[in-house]
This record gives sequence, C-alpha cells and structure tokens, in this order.
Amino acid sequence: MAGYRDHKFSGSRDDYEKRLAGSTTLYVGNLSFHTKEEQIYELFSKCGDIKRVILGLNRITKTPCGFCFIEYYDREDAHNAIRYIGGTRLDERIIRTDWDAGFIEGRQ
Amino acid sequence: MSKRRNWDDDPERPRKRYRNERPTEEEDIEDNLEHLIVKLGDRSTSALEKNLEELVEILDHDVSKSAKSNIIKIICDCVANLPEKTSIYATLVGLLNNKNYHVGGDIIEMLVKCFKDCTKACEWDKSLSYVRFFGDLVNCHVISHGSLMNLFETLVDVTMEDNIPQVRSDFFVYAVLSALPWVGYELCDKKEQDLEQLLNTIDNYMTKRSKVHHTALRVWYSDTPHPQEEYLDCLWSQITKLRSDKWEENHIYRPYINFSKALCEALQHNLPAITIPPHDASYTYPYPKVVFRLFDYTDCPDGPILPGAHSIDRYLIEQNIRWILSTHHRDLKTCSFSLIGLQGGHKFPLEYVLVETILAEIFALPTSKYLEIFYGSLLLKLCKMQPGSLPQVLAQAVEMIFDRLDTMNVACVDRFASWFAYHLSNFQYAWNWDDWSACLTLDPLHPKPKFVRECLLRCMRLSYHQRIAEIVPDGFKILLPDLPEPMNKYAVTDESIKIPGSGLSNQLNELIKNKTPIEEIMKTLDDLDNSTNAGDAEFTPHSLKIDVFLTVLLNAASKSFSHLFSALLKYNQILLSLNNSEDAQRCILNAIYEVWRRHPQLLVVLTDKLLKAGIVDFPAVANWIFSKELANDFTRSYIWEILHSTIRRHIKQVENLQKKLQELKEAKEKSEKAQSTDKDEKDIKEEKEVEPSNEEAIESLEEKVETALSDQKNLFLIVFQHFIMILSEHIQTCEAKGRSFKNHWFRWCIGRLQQVFEHHQHVFKYNSVLESLLFTNDIDAHILIIFRQFCSLQA
Repeated sequence: MAGYRDHKFSGSRDDYEKRLAGSTTLYVGNLSFHTKEEQIYELFSKCGDIKRVILGLNRITKTPCGFCFIEYYDREDAHNAIRYIGGTRLDERIIRTDWDAGFIEGRQ
Repeated sequence: MSKRRNWDDDPERPRKRYRNERPTEEEDIEDNLEHLIVKLGDRSTSALEKNLEELVEILDHDVSKSAKSNIIKIICDCVANLPEKTSIYATLVGLLNNKNYHVGGDIIEMLVKCFKDCTKACEWDKSLSYVRFFGDLVNCHVISHGSLMNLFETLVDVTMEDNIPQVRSDFFVYAVLSALPWVGYELCDKKEQDLEQLLNTIDNYMTKRSKVHHTALRVWYSDTPHPQEEYLDCLWSQITKLRSDKWEENHIYRPYINFSKALCEALQHNLPAITIPPHDASYTYPYPKVVFRLFDYTDCPDGPILPGAHSIDRYLIEQNIRWILSTHHRDLKTCSFSLIGLQGGHKFPLEYVLVETILAEIFALPTSKYLEIFYGSLLLKLCKMQPGSLPQVLAQAVEMIFDRLDTMNVACVDRFASWFAYHLSNFQYAWNWDDWSACLTLDPLHPKPKFVRECLLRCMRLSYHQRIAEIVPDGFKILLPDLPEPMNKYAVTDESIKIPGSGLSNQLNELIKNKTPIEEIMKTLDDLDNSTNAGDAEFTPHSLKIDVFLTVLLNAASKSFSHLFSALLKYNQILLSLNNSEDAQRCILNAIYEVWRRHPQLLVVLTDKLLKAGIVDFPAVANWIFSKELANDFTRSYIWEILHSTIRRHIKQVENLQKKLQELKEAKEKSEKAQSTDKDEKDIKEEKEVEPSNEEAIESLEEKVETALSDQKNLFLIVFQHFIMILSEHIQTCEAKGRSFKNHWFRWCIGRLQQVFEHHQHVFKYNSVLESLLFTNDIDAHILIIFRQFCSLQA
C-alpha cells in the first residue's frame, strides 16, 4: 500500500494520510492506452457499485495515457478491488491498484 | 484489552502505536504472547513442538494472574476463529493443563462460556469450532470421555424438541458428526456402548428428515456421473464408513501425539452440564447444503489416489480448504500459500481437491459466500504458483462442467460463463474452442451454445469486439456478440422515406449539437404536444417525443461512457419532465433498448443510472423485463443482470434509510443521556430546541423506511407475478398444442425464477404474503414446487 503518492497534493502529510485512510477512490496504473472506460467498468464492477471512473488523459493530446481513478460508493468495495484486481490483467497488461486521496478536477 | 484482535481486519495493516502511549512492560509481554498464540503453527523457523513447549513455559511462569485471564480469552478466540488449527490449540491447552490443573479448569470454564454465548448469538460456525475443540480436548486428556458423551447427547437431544425447524436439529446433529473424526477413536475405545447409542439416535433422525430443499440447492439435476448429495446425508455416510474403518482417518494433524507421555499423566476435568438455549423465532440457522462433486479417482490417474466421495478424508480436506478461505479471504497471498501448504504427510491429489472445492464455492446456492472475483483471482494465483499442474486440472474441470451443462442450474451457468471469461482474460483468451464445435449444430437455446455465446460476450466486455472475433475459429462466428454500436432509426438518408419523428429528430440533433440551452429544447418539445398529430398507432405524441429525444441524445453522446453519463446529467431536467406516467417510463426504457440493444453492458449500466436519477422507478424496470419488447432477449443473461441489479439497488436504498434512522436514534439517545447527566451545567434551553426537530426527523424517516419496505415487497410481488403468469401461459399453450412444455425455454425461465431467491434474506420477509397471494394451490405444481423448495431452506 506504500507505493503511489500524489506529489501535487497541497496539504500536510498527515492530512494526506488521513484522507487516504477514509478514501473510496483508487488509482489504477499500467493500463493500456487503448483500454476504454467500459472495460474498466466491467472489471471493477465485480467488486461493487462504481460511482465514477476518470480516465487519465495526456495533457496535450487529450488521449488516454495509462492510468485512471475509480471512485466507489463504499470503501470496502474499493478495498476488495485492491485485494483482488490489483496484479491481475486487463487488456493483457498487469494493472496496479492503490488508494487515492480523492480525485480533484485537473489531475488527469 | 479491547484494542485489537479484530479478526475482520486486514492482516497487512500495520499495528499502530503512538509514541506517547508507551505500553507498560506487562502489556508488552502480553502483546507479544498474543502474537505468539495467534501465529502458533504458522510457518516458522523452529519446530511446532519447540514453540509449544516454550509458550507453555512462558505462560506458566512469567505471566501475572490478571494477565492470565486475558490470555485465556485469546486462546478461546483462536479456537473459534482459526478452526484449521484446532489440534494445535488443543495440544497447547493440554500442556497447560498438565502444568497447572487450575489453569486447565479456568480455560474449560471460559470455553464453555464462549460456546454458550455464540450459540445464543447464532454464530454457528464458532459453535461448531467449540464442539470440535471439546472433542479434541478429550484426546489431550483435558476433558473426560464421559462428560463429552453427555455434551454430545445433549446436542443430539435437540432433535427430539417439538415444533422446531429442521434446520435447527440439523445443525446440532452436524455439530456432533463433524467432531467425530477428531474424537471418534477415543470414544469408541472408552465409551463404545454410549457411542453406539448416540449413533443409533442419529440414524433414526436421518431417516426422518425432509429433503424438499435438495433440488433447489443442486448445481446439477442429474446424478450421473456423480450424485449431488444432501450435505448431512453425505456426512452421515462418511461417518458410517469411518466407523467401519475403526475410526481411523489420514488427514488430521495431531501434534499432541508427540506429547502423549506427558499428557497421559494429566488430570481430566468434567465438562459442566450445558443446556442449549431453546429455539426462538428470531433465530436463523445455517441453510442446508448440497455437496458439489466433480471428480473421482479415475479423473486423476497419475499420482496419489483421490479419496472417495464417502471417505472422511475427502470431507476433512475440503473442510480444511474452506477454513483457510474463510480465515484468509482478505489476503490472496497468504490464502494461496496456505492452500498449497495443505499437502501434509499423507499424499492426496491436492490440485484436484482445490479446484473442486473452489468451484463448489463459486457455484454454491443460493449465493456464494464471497465475491466471485475473489475465487477467480485466487485460481489465477494458484495457477501462477503451480504452473506445472493446476492449469491442466482447471482445464479438465472446465471440460467436465461444459459436458454437464445440460442439467446445470441456470444461475450457475451464468457464474460459470462469467468466471471463465475472467479467467481467459488473464491468459490471452487461449482456449481450444474447436473441442466444443459439436455445440454449433445444437438448438441455439440449448445450454451449450448458449453458454459459449454468453462466455464470448463476457470476454468481449473485458476486451473488445475485434479481439474476440480473432480468438475463435470461423465456425464460432455465429456465436459472436454483436458489434456494440448504437442504432438510430430516425437517421434516414433517403429523403423520400418519411417516418414519423424524423423531422423532429433532425431538429433536436441540431439543437443538441449547437449546445442550445436546456430551456429552449424543452420549449421545442413542449410545442410539439400541440402541433403534432402523429397518426401512428404505435406512438402517442408524448411517447414519440420521448423516443425521438432519447434516440437523438444517446446517439449524439455515444462516444464513450463518460459522454453518455454527462449527457444524462446535463439533460436530467428534460428526462425527468418526460416521465409523467407509467407508459412514459416504459417508453424511456424501450427507447434506450432500441438504441443500445447491441450493447448489453451499457443497457445494464444505463438502467441503473436512470433508477438512481429517479427517471424511471423500480416497478417500471421489472415490468419492462417481462414486456413483449424484450421477449427476444428473455433468455439472455444480461436481462437478469438488469433485474438483479435493480433489486439490489432497492435493497441498498432501504438499508441506507434504515442506517440513517438508526444513527438518528442513537444520537438522540446520546443527547438524552447527556441531558440527564449534566442538566445543571448546560444551557437547557438550547438542548430543548434541538430535541423536537430531532424527533420530527426520526418520525419522517420512520415513515420513509416503512414506505420503502412496502415498495420492496411490491417489487418482489410484481416480479413473482410476472413469472407465474408467463410460466402458466407457456404450460397452457404447450398443453393445448399437445407438446411437452419442458423445453429449453421453460428450463431457462424456471431457472430465472429460482434465481430470484438469491435475495433470500429479503424474500423470506414476505413469505406469508407470497404464499397467500401468489404461490397458492391454484397454480401449476411445477411452478409452486420452486417456491416450496425455497421455503424449506429455513423450515
């Protein structure tokens, strides 16, 4: 659970840790550039009800660039996604999952 | 000591301890001991025997009196929660008792208390663990044979109680039977006659049991090649065989054997007489089960022999696997390591039992215990750990299940397709489809081609159309899913063809493209009510409006899920205003279906979004599922995905309301308490002002909960009524034509009715209403029996 950190987070480290501990949002990395939202929905819905998916986009070309945020309604569902989906394949790539402190507009 | 030891916690979570809360030295030792006790028997550098001896030494000498009772509680908790280590803890208690007779007595006292508590709280799994542990303590010379026999007799005597559900007596018989592999040998040795008598009582009970539930819980309806046995029947056969084998089994690891010299000198305790709390209407007992059987020894010709279906070893190994799953299901890594580590002294084909037991859990009826994806990912992990053997066994299992699809429960066919697609998605979709080409010539409604079709659809949902088209041989192209693209019946290129609404469609298309303000679009739509006189019988002006607007909107936003969702959000106001009647809701749903009928996943997601936004309501979706517009897709699984996600959404809504109400009530209680204690200090006026508003909020919430519950009942009534109607009609039509009604369609439909009982906890609330209103004696016996079988799950 120690890997990913949002380096742009404005606020203290403690603050950040606190938000992580209550988060229902995941960061998902190592996606294929061709993976579409609907595939992400299909796979991650297996752990529960998804509130929204935000595809990471390249700042200039506005195309997917290999990561996304997934927000669940329940923390336990998000936790299960980390437990069971992290390290398995989507579009034949091994994806990684981690907690995220919550998506803020502009982080794509 | 309330600090930690939450068994549900993630084991990876680091234990937090802040610097300013420095523990005392004693607490430190205690924590350390707790850790040692919980980890006892896990992978370790030193031998278990040495660890046990050391632990006993510490517990005996270095721990103060007050700490000891905490330690005893920890041991009792371990017994309840780590059943796979029963004999290890029995040995520990045996050694402690040998060192200090009084400590042994204290432990027994605590164990008995815990057993009583969890039986009262309906924590049945824990109760089982305690009964088994009492048995094993006889082996460790802690408990006397006679007093254990008394306990067993008390448990079996529950079968003599009057007016109790069978599931109650089943449980207590099961508790005794499942403890016998541990202690049967000892009892036979010392108390043979009493044991005989006990087994006779059980035998009597076994012949009297009703088995109406059996069919409802079977994964396969056929008994060839393997009978799908009722769980208690099966265990009884296994115990009977164990008895004829002189109570010798090969699976239980008994560390106390190495200490037999020391232990046989120990003094035994007598268990106190335990009374079982009488039946209460609020009690829920475990449902009966059916034993899933896939393999026998002929399926694994190489290597060690697979114990037979009635060998107690088969039961013990499976049980062990289930315990590991339940202890470690939150941690795939530990879970898979423990499973692979099961290969103990006595060899058996581990891969086969693992695959069989995990598949059994996936297919368990009415629902599996954990998330499907837990089992799916666990199998992936096991394949990775045993690449030389497990994938082959799994493939063999898939072939066998495919062969037996003809008589497989419908919900299980769904789970099979969904799991298999997920599994393939992790192995480049590599599969030898040609082996299944025989299914291409079968009736399209036959389970085999239907399974392949559903499985390919699931594969596509995890990847994309082109990819799946590439992986299947040419012959399978007829089973490929549609290209998931939207349709627009109003987009007519030929100007000469005039269909009603095409003019409006063009107009709306422009408006949406130009980002016209919502109000203006609404105005354009409103104007239509007065101007159009669409002479089409299919549409009223209003429904035409709905159809055109949604068709245009969904097509315009078809680029991605995000585009669609934001379009729905943006035009939410218009959509809400369009829903002015039941008919309108049906139009909305049909419009979505017309556009996205080639994209089942999207239909599932969109209906859910519409429900959440209040654009359609729950009964509308249920009615729509059974409408003639969907008749063509009626046997496809996505339809049922929609129905069940709708039911689940409703259940969740009710639960959220109930939770809120609970919270408000608790807050009120708290403030009342606070008020009564520091009345003098606090500003009483202010508190009084808070009070009534709280009261009101509670009242209004209570009302909402009640309405929601009655809506829930309604939803189930609607669903069941539709099933009864559509099935009765089918039976009558077939009989009128002199044909058998038991065709493929009937099988799918009755299976879908059964599947509604997946929501058993909620359906059970309405049993009596269902029985008096819907499932009456007037309806066809083939339909009624499904309901009766369901009811017998808790009868």
